[in-house]
Parts: sequence; structure tokens; C-alpha cells
Amino acid sequence: MRYFRLFIAFLRIGIMNELAYRANFFVQLFESVLELGTALAGLAVVFSHTDTLGGWLPNEVLALVGVYFLVGGSIRLLIQPSMERLIESVREGTLDFTLVKPEDAQFLVSIQRVEIWKLTDIFLGLAVLAIALVRLGARVGAIQLMAFAGALLAGGVIVYSFWLILATLCFWFIRVENILVIFQSMYEAGRWPMSLYPSWLRFALTFLVPIAVATTVPAQALAGRLNWQTLAGMIGLAFIISAISRIFWRFGIRRYSGASA
Amino acid sequence: MAVTALPVIHIRDLRKTYVVSERETGARAALKSLVHRRMQEVPAVAGISFDIAAGEIVGFLGPNGAGKTTTLKMLSGLLHPSGGEVAVLCHIPWKREKAFLRKITLVMGQRNQLVWDIPAADSFELNRAIYRIPSDVYRRSLDDLTGLLDLEPLLRKPVRNLSLGERMKCEIAAALLHRPQVVFLDEPTIGLDVSMQRRIRSFIADYNRRYGATVLLTSHYMADVEALCRRVIVIHHGRLLFDGELSGLVQRFTRHKTIVIQLQDCSVDLHAYGEIIECVDGRATLRVPKAETARVTERLLADLPLIDLTVEDPPIEEIIEQVFAQEVL
Amino acid sequence: MKGLGAIYLQQFSTTLASQLQYRAVLFIWLIGQVLEPLIYLVVWSAVSRSTGGNVGGFSAGEFSAYFILLMLINHSTFTWIMWEQEYRIRLGTFSFALLKPVHPIHSDIADNVSYKLITFPVMLLVALALSLAFHPEFHFAPWAVMAFFPALGLAFLVRFLLEWTLAMTAFWTTRVSAINQVYFVLLLFFSGQIAPLSLLPGPIQAVASILPFRWMISFPAELFLGRLTPSQALAGLAAQVAWLAGCLILMKIIWRAGLRVYSAVGA
Repeated sequence: MRYFRLFIAFLRIGIMNELAYRANFFVQLFESVLELGTALAGLAVVFSHTDTLGGWLPNEVLALVGVYFLVGGSIRLLIQPSMERLIESVREGTLDFTLVKPEDAQFLVSIQRVEIWKLTDIFLGLAVLAIALVRLGARVGAIQLMAFAGALLAGGVIVYSFWLILATLCFWFIRVENILVIFQSMYEAGRWPMSLYPSWLRFALTFLVPIAVATTVPAQALAGRLNWQTLAGMIGLAFIISAISRIFWRFGIRRYSGASA
Repeated sequence: MAVTALPVIHIRDLRKTYVVSERETGARAALKSLVHRRMQEVPAVAGISFDIAAGEIVGFLGPNGAGKTTTLKMLSGLLHPSGGEVAVLCHIPWKREKAFLRKITLVMGQRNQLVWDIPAADSFELNRAIYRIPSDVYRRSLDDLTGLLDLEPLLRKPVRNLSLGERMKCEIAAALLHRPQVVFLDEPTIGLDVSMQRRIRSFIADYNRRYGATVLLTSHYMADVEALCRRVIVIHHGRLLFDGELSGLVQRFTRHKTIVIQLQDCSVDLHAYGEIIECVDGRATLRVPKAETARVTERLLADLPLIDLTVEDPPIEEIIEQVFAQEVL
Repeated sequence: MKGLGAIYLQQFSTTLASQLQYRAVLFIWLIGQVLEPLIYLVVWSAVSRSTGGNVGGFSAGEFSAYFILLMLINHSTFTWIMWEQEYRIRLGTFSFALLKPVHPIHSDIADNVSYKLITFPVMLLVALALSLAFHPEFHFAPWAVMAFFPALGLAFLVRFLLEWTLAMTAFWTTRVSAINQVYFVLLLFFSGQIAPLSLLPGPIQAVASILPFRWMISFPAELFLGRLTPSQALAGLAAQVAWLAGCLILMKIIWRAGLRVYSAVGA
């Protein structure tokens, strides 16, 4: 409960921060629409030359794009700006202020920045998702929706933990802010069905850089292509990677405060 | 010496050694460093000990790189010591217990914890949530601080629109909202203009008087320490050089005294009396070994038609400089 | 001119030293640059497999060749100056660059090239590894291969100038990520990174030829893969030169305007 109240406090700050730059909303809207347009155009080009892609129908891939924007927007709303701010604050020395506060540092750094206008990505994603679902017909039932929600949640945890691990690297490597660039292109892999990728790439995108799972598996759930093993595996992965990220974070803090490793 | 209560800050033989990678210049060395990095141990704090009682304002003085900030970070739990004991309010700082963190605060000069684009008042609210300050305590705290620091016109402005001094006042206020028992100030007046420095100093003194908070202040400005601290700890190369009253510092480390005399003009040759620092319009400043002061003063009074004569200690800056230069223990 | 050469040389060794200091960065950037063409390689190979062979004049092997080559070209021409400039201005360190008696663009170019001297061999290795996995088909024409190198050089200069000019927008606004995003979206689509330009609908291809992006990345690839006739190649090189001139003029204008803004606002 207390964590929720703290999150609201940071959310307020985030909203106020962004309201100070009202122009950002329109820029963000333009940006999001442009990105969505490119994704859809890419889809259109691909499907102008074929009817299925790795066994996926156009509307199933459209659903995937919707999930991609939904998850991507959520990352850009909270996770990414907070992690970027973390990396900055390590460099500036202002992380010390956070460490001196009587709350769990991982929690504080993870919610410290909310870029409220990224909600446009989330809404666009939901819109695309809705359209795709309508087109796919009434094949989506309660079970699919539950699996979808579960996969989405697990995916969110996986992505957050992965981002935290990357950001924690800033305790060792100074120029880690460039991570933004890789994440963008790595995340791109989640826009296409993972079944397309050769097995070694699928492995990498599931276990080494577990981002694509966050989009593909929920989309699979909606398309009715998900089997229980994959969902269970994903949830298990979520538990494991969140534990690893927590341990690594604490290790990083110890390193930062010069504790003997 | 009567022992009244447990010291608020207790340090015994505290040490901190950094391990840094070092490398020679040039491209070849750069390539080599990809494979093999040479590490070097840099002692930042080399065994210092002191105790600070509740309500004291202690100045922690030293040149850049002396180990002041490192010590402060060890006291606030930000750094793990390499050795020795440290306890603040009976907590071990590096364990970072929440109960401990609620009782302390840290202010760092030229580093902001306030959120940049929004009014300071909103950052205050954030701290209220983080420190879980009850609303009545918060209101009272905020009113007190607003009064003491003259914050009223500043609270609604975005922090980025404030001047450096105004920002510092807000930073300090934000740090004190939760009424900490121990206040760590790391170079709080650095970069500020003289009048703002004075404002902040008088605020710290007021705050200490009102709330009895223990204040540990690091600075390389002598004026900070002169104005605020009865007790001074001097640190250099990670070692304690002096711990005691400021007047004691002057007493112990000066070898000279300054005699200032007023004559009609500077035509008289004063070399026999002492080292001439300057002579302007008949006002001569002489530096004289401490032991000789009485004798030289007598002679000056006897020999010369003086208009005025005063005996002073050298400026404290000079003393400190000499202390650092000689590392007299 | 000799002085400039000395500056470049010094910048090389400085960048080399500082890049090797921050080792992690080198590999992080490479990962992204490999993955993106890889994704599209896989997607288009899947498309060609599902249609049983040829897609718009590309077989699966030709797709592999195209995207692996694109990866190398993109790596050779990319810059990071937009982020760096925003960072420099925000932190006030850009003022130091302005105090030097040389145009800051030179040290930025030198920095860029010296980074690639280190990373290109790695990318080449990755390209070889990818070739083993995805079996690219190349159809060379010797003249095309020779024309490729000046085309690549021109592509680098055009892209660098344009992106450097774009980076100067940091003079006017602190939130440059939006502008960068727009640029990269356009770049992605119109430089042939999503699909070979010949696979795009006709009108889009026409637009792509008017925009500079094709000449930064796609054109050298088309040249090397032997997909252009000599006259097309010549026209392409001319387009590159034209864009180079245009970007140079644009850069000078924006630079001067930006300096005025920067010095008015202060560091």
C-alpha cells in the first residue's frame, strides 16, 4: 500500500513535469503515429508479397503489432525513463541522495520518472489490438484473455528485470546510457513472430535478451496459438529473471558503496 | 571529562582505500589495457577517530582530496569503510537501516536532489511521501523552514528558474523537512556569493539552536567554519591533523604573530624588528616569531613614534595553509 | 590543410584511448546494428520461402546478401552525433569545442571514423558468421564493386553531414529525442532497411529516390549487388554528390543560426 502511494507521488511529479512541456504531447502523438505507421507499412509491404508469414495470418501479426506497442509504450512510460535517470544519477553523483532515503533504493529508482505522454503508445497499441481482435473474429474467449493477461504481466516483469540488469551495469561501466540504442533495435525483434527466427536466435531472444517473449507470447495467447507449457515457462522465466535482477542490483549497490565483493 | 551520553557520531580508526585502475598514456597502453589492467590502491581515509556529541556543530576542514567527503559518505552509509568502527546514532551506517536513514540527512553543494522542472514545493511533497512525514508535522516543518530561509517567493517557481543561492536554500529545506537528528553538509556554500553564504551560515546556526540537531559540515572555506563551528576537525591526506576548538588551532599551529603599526610614512627601515609583509601609507605589517612578540613590541614602542600598534594572529587561511604544507601533527 | 591532418591524427589516438577505456560501449552498439538487419533478413527469407522462391527479384540467398551487406554499410555510415550533441549542450561541455580554432565537425568526424576502425573488423567477422548461417548469394560485376567504394565514401559524408546538421537542432530544443525519432523512422523506411527499395510500391520508390536516405545506405548496396546498370550507377553517384552539396549548404546555414541561438542563451 505504501509502495502504491509512493508510486502515485512520483506519478504526480511525472505528470507535472510533462505538463510543463505541453508541446511534448503533440510531438509524442506525431512520433507514435509515425512509428505505428511505419510498422503497419512494413506489414503491408511484407504481406503484399505473401499470404502468411511463418504460419501467421496477417491479422495475427497485426495483433502482435498491437501488443508490441502496448508493451513498448508501458516500457517507455515508466521503466525506460527511470532506468535512464538511474544511469545519469550514478554519473552525476545524485544517486547518493536516493541511497540516503529510507526506502528500498531499487523501488525508488524504478519509479522515479514517469513520461506520461507515452500513454499515446499504449492507447494506439490497444486500438490496433482491438481492431486485430475484431478481424480475427470471435475466436478469443475468456481463457485466451486470461492467458493473454498472464503472459502480458509475466512479460512486463521480464522486460523490467532485463532493463534493471542493463542499468545496473552502470556501476561498472560508465558509458552505459547508450543502452537505449540497443534496446530499441533489440525490441524490434518483438514486432515479428518469433517462430520466424532460427532456433539460436529464438534462444537468444528468450533467455539472453528476453524482450521478444514479452510481445510474442501474449499475441500467441490471443491468437489461440499458445500452449500451457510456453505460458508456464514464461511465468517461470519471469520469476527467475526478477530474482536475478534483484540480486545483481544489490551486488551493484554494494559495489557502488565500496563494499568488499 | 564527564561522560554524559553516548556520542551521536563515533569513529574509531576509520579507513577507506579505493582501488583504481591506472594506465599510462598513448595508444599502445590503451590497447594493452584491454587485456590487462593495473590496479592501484589509493588510501582516501587512513585511520581517523573522533566522537561528536548531540547538538554540536563540527567543521570538517581540509583541502580538496583530503578525505572529507569520503568520511561524510561513510557516516551517511553511502560508502563501506575498509576498516575501523563507525556508528551514528547507535546505528551502523553502511547497513542502511530505514530507521537510521530517517534520522539523518545529506546536503551536497552543487548537487541537486530537487526535481528540475517543477516547483520546489512539489519536490517537498515527494520527500514528504518518502519520509512518511505526518501532515501536521510536515506543515509545521515547512512553515518553520519557509520563515527561516525566506522561501515564500521561491516555492512556486520551477527549480531551474532559481538562482544558485535560491536553489541551495530550497535544497536545504527539502533535506530538513523530516527533522533529522543528524545533518551532514558537504560543501554547502560552494559557488555561492558572499551574502548568500552568510545567509546559509546563519540559518544553520539558527537551526542547530532551535532543534538541537547535530551538524557535521565539510568545507574548504574558512569563513564557514569560523562563523559556525566551535569545534574544528582538520583532515589532510586522509589523516586527522587537529581536533579541537578553533582558537586552539590558531594557538597550536602559528609560529608567528602579526604586528601592525601605524607611522607617519614608510621611510623608516623596519628590517631590524621583523619580516616586513607590507607597508602602505605608513601602515606597516610585520611578521614576528611568536616567542619574540613581547620583545619586538617593546622595542617598537620605545624606538619609533608610533601612532598605533596592534598584535594579531595571522589570518586563519594562512594558518591552515601552513598546516597543510607542513602537516604538523 | 596540414594542420587539419594533425588534428585528425590526434583525435584518432584520443578517441582510440577513450573508446578502449569504456569497453562495454563498443559491443553494445554493435549488437543493435547486427540485430536489426538480421531481423529483416529472417523475415524476408521467410517470405521468399513461403512463396517458394523469388520475391520481387530476390531469392532467399539474395535477401541474405542484401541484408548482410546493408549491415556493413549501415555500420560504416552511422553516427551517434545527435545524442552526443544534446548531451554536450545540456551539460555545457560544447562550449569547449567552440573555443577551439577548428570547426567542431572535424573532431566529430575523426571520432566517428576512429571508432569504426576498431569496430569494423568485428562487424566483418559477424558478417562472415552470418554468411555461414544464411548462405548469401552474390552476383558481382567488377566495375560495380569498384564504383562501390566511392559510393560508400559519399554515402558516409552525406549521412554524416545530414545527421550532424540534425544534431544541431539541440541548439533550439532540449527534447531532441522526438526529432531524432522522426529522422530514424524515415531513415528506416526510405533507406531500404525494412525492405529492398525495389519491393516497395512504385510511388513510394519514387519518393525514396527524391529523399537523401536511399543515397546513404541503399544505393551502395544496390551497386555492389550488381542490381544497377552503369547509367543508373552514374546517376546515383551524381545524386549523392548533389545531396552532399545540399547538405553542406544546409549544415552551414543551421550551424550559423544555431551558434547565434547558443551564444544568446549561454552555456
